[in-house]
Amino acid sequence: MPDSRTGTRRPRPEVATKLPRGTTARVVLASTRNAWADLTATFTITSWTLGWLGRIIAQVVFYALIGSLLGSPDRIRYLFIGSAVLATAMEALLVVSTTTRERYSGTLPLLVAAPTRLWPVLLGRSVQWLPSGVATATVALFVVGHAFGVSFTLGDGFAAFGVLLLVAVTTYGYGLALAAVVLRFMRLRNWATNLSYTVMMLVCGVMVPLTFWPPWVQWFAQIFPLTHDLQVIRLLESGTYTAREVLLHLGLSVLVALGWYTIGALLLERLVTTGRRDGTIEFAEA
Amino acid sequence: MTAATVESHGYGALAYLNGFLAGLERELRELRRSPDRLMALVTAPMLTLVFLAIMLHAGRDDLASFAVLAPALLVLWQMALQTSGDTVESERENGSLEALVVAPAPFPAVITGRITAVTAVSLLGFVESWVVAWLVFGVHVEIHHPSVFLGAVLTTGYATAGSAMALAALFVRTRAARAFQNSLTYPFYVLGGVMVPVSYLPDWLEPLTRLVFLSWSSDLMRAAVGPEPVPDVALHLVMIVLLGTVGAIIGGVLVRRALAEIRRTGTIGHA
Amino acid sequence: MTALRDVDLEIPEGEIHGLLGPNGAGKTTLCKILSTVLLPTSGRAEICGYDVVADTAAVRRLIGIVFGGERGLYTRLTARGNLQFWASLYGLSGAQAQLRVTTLLERLGLEQRADVRVETFSRGMKQRLHLARGLIGDPQVLILDEPTTGMDPVAAQEFRHLVRGLRAEGRTVLITTHDMAEAEAICDRVTLIDNGSILATERPSTLGTWITRYARVRADGVPPERVSSVTAALEALSGVAAVRESAPGTLVVDTAADGAAPEVLRLLLELGITDVATTRPDLAEVYLQVIGKRGMRVD
Repeated sequence: MPDSRTGTRRPRPEVATKLPRGTTARVVLASTRNAWADLTATFTITSWTLGWLGRIIAQVVFYALIGSLLGSPDRIRYLFIGSAVLATAMEALLVVSTTTRERYSGTLPLLVAAPTRLWPVLLGRSVQWLPSGVATATVALFVVGHAFGVSFTLGDGFAAFGVLLLVAVTTYGYGLALAAVVLRFMRLRNWATNLSYTVMMLVCGVMVPLTFWPPWVQWFAQIFPLTHDLQVIRLLESGTYTAREVLLHLGLSVLVALGWYTIGALLLERLVTTGRRDGTIEFAEA
Repeated sequence: MTAATVESHGYGALAYLNGFLAGLERELRELRRSPDRLMALVTAPMLTLVFLAIMLHAGRDDLASFAVLAPALLVLWQMALQTSGDTVESERENGSLEALVVAPAPFPAVITGRITAVTAVSLLGFVESWVVAWLVFGVHVEIHHPSVFLGAVLTTGYATAGSAMALAALFVRTRAARAFQNSLTYPFYVLGGVMVPVSYLPDWLEPLTRLVFLSWSSDLMRAAVGPEPVPDVALHLVMIVLLGTVGAIIGGVLVRRALAEIRRTGTIGHA
Repeated sequence: MTALRDVDLEIPEGEIHGLLGPNGAGKTTLCKILSTVLLPTSGRAEICGYDVVADTAAVRRLIGIVFGGERGLYTRLTARGNLQFWASLYGLSGAQAQLRVTTLLERLGLEQRADVRVETFSRGMKQRLHLARGLIGDPQVLILDEPTTGMDPVAAQEFRHLVRGLRAEGRTVLITTHDMAEAEAICDRVTLIDNGSILATERPSTLGTWITRYARVRADGVPPERVSSVTAALEALSGVAAVRESAPGTLVVDTAADGAAPEVLRLLLELGITDVATTRPDLAEVYLQVIGKRGMRVD
């Protein structure tokens, strides 16, 4: 079987290298089951509600209170909406932490050696944080928000919920690309997530409008899908918007996210090829 | 398993000192080894920018000092939580938690040593916030009552160490240390008036906030920065020290209980 | 640094081939190359005639990888969940996947615990699940990297039995280990590897000879006044390489010839020393004794 310099060739068995149609989709789906198992092993309904949701609500309230320090109901609403929606993005960023576990748990080499590509596996692997992130922000925006003057009409509320889903899905794309980088440089694991998160908090119109910043920062903020999605939610809450501007922002968000998903998939495949070359895909990870 | 050991060693001053130094040294080594522990020192300046941006955007340059102080307090609490949680959790993963709790160097002393190291490092957070405010936004926060401020910082460091003791003991008793660690952040930032003074919270919350030493610390620090005379300095200092001590005592009692449990069962919780 | 050098090895189909060597010998590097997660800097490796570099896709369909220990499993999934996940990665779906998963669970005796989270499994059960996982793609070639690490003897025994069953199905197995006895127990042939080079490829019966030849006898409770006389008597036996007192009253006798160990035991009993035991030599010792003497050790 293995290495032989003699090169004597025997007839080799026929191997179907092409996988059946739909395998990629099934792999993504199988991975989402894995993701869901992770969530149910981490939280019970009670611990999610009391521990996780409670913590996120406290965080949103913490920032909204700054508005009351400033003595401005407008600022309270602005900060509340910003930090509530940020919570969804924050949870989507947990894709980095879940993805890097593949290295710690030693499954990465097995995934690499399997006949399918790596990206469909990791695409589905961390989706548990999407429903969780949407749920926390939903409770914050539509339930707790009332106490802070945040209100939606029924229709706009549903639309805003839809945009929250979009926040989760689009930021997940950014997180996936980030995770691909971190899988290569594991020491950056927590730094990458935390820095991304605070940068988003700073420049994406979460705490202060984009216009507060110099133009180059405003341009930079465009690379985060959150910037575009958050503007839509603010428009919906204000009740004064045109369909055109909403669709424009949503379109931009989707476009940016598609870019991130593509970058993420390419980086993951590159991780495999360079990893094979330099031996960084270890059987035993510390 | 080690009942004899537990009973034979008294917690003499020397044992405490040894444990304290061991913890201090261990933590300094950890800080050098794993950059993640210093993460809070990177997020602190970032948060300073966030808070300052909010103030400056609202035209409230007068509240800049709030924005500079808050991240440092946040970092202090976050690192104390992280260290006490990680200490307990990593020992548990090693299967050495029981050994640590009954080791000749008293557990409280080891924890205190580690927390002291962390607190000392976190105080850098104050310096960072101050520098970043000046560099990025040109905001210069002057400390009008430096001696009061210094007193507030020192007592706060002490209280942080004391509270971390209570936290560590809590983590010893429960397996869900990681989950707790995460949940004990923002609720405490709100109740501790870290950014917004607790007087802005609903009245019914006031008694609760006064049980959190951070609320006294943040009030005193903000007052020490401002130009007006600082009211009730002594009361604030006493309360900070008192609450820190209460934390340490609660921690001590809980650890002692854990010890008793080990004597009975040879393990802690359902490890 | 070169992890592997001048490795020339051919394993016929249907053989259980052991790769025996101490930690860091290059066993895992070889496994990584064969399982397509590492590219060799030079040289060629083929699985069933497919080149691991040029025909990666075909090789991946032909191989299964099995790790030892905790790594490589999704501990929060059930055993069935793990297998279903990997089945999808090997292009299986629907009834076909169900059938393969169920068959493997039954075959490896996991059907009772199929729907329990893996984190609650014993080491032996995890290892059986590892093997099931490795078999999910119905591979021609299985690569087992230290599969019995940390298993208790009974579980390891069971596991070896399962591995022998694979040969009966015509699969080729490459198994790495640093345990001579394990290699002896299940392999058709064994390759000794150290410092990235092949030292020798032997039949396990040869290993068996080494194990008995270099056995070590330990005697406890030798009265202090008799230590020197007993030592002298032992040293006089042919086949005894060395005698030393490892602790007061404890003698350790190294043998270096076939049938020497029983002679040592007999002599000790004759001398009235009954607290005796034989131990197997470890790999490092065999290396020093056998390979060192044959001048094949690469340092």
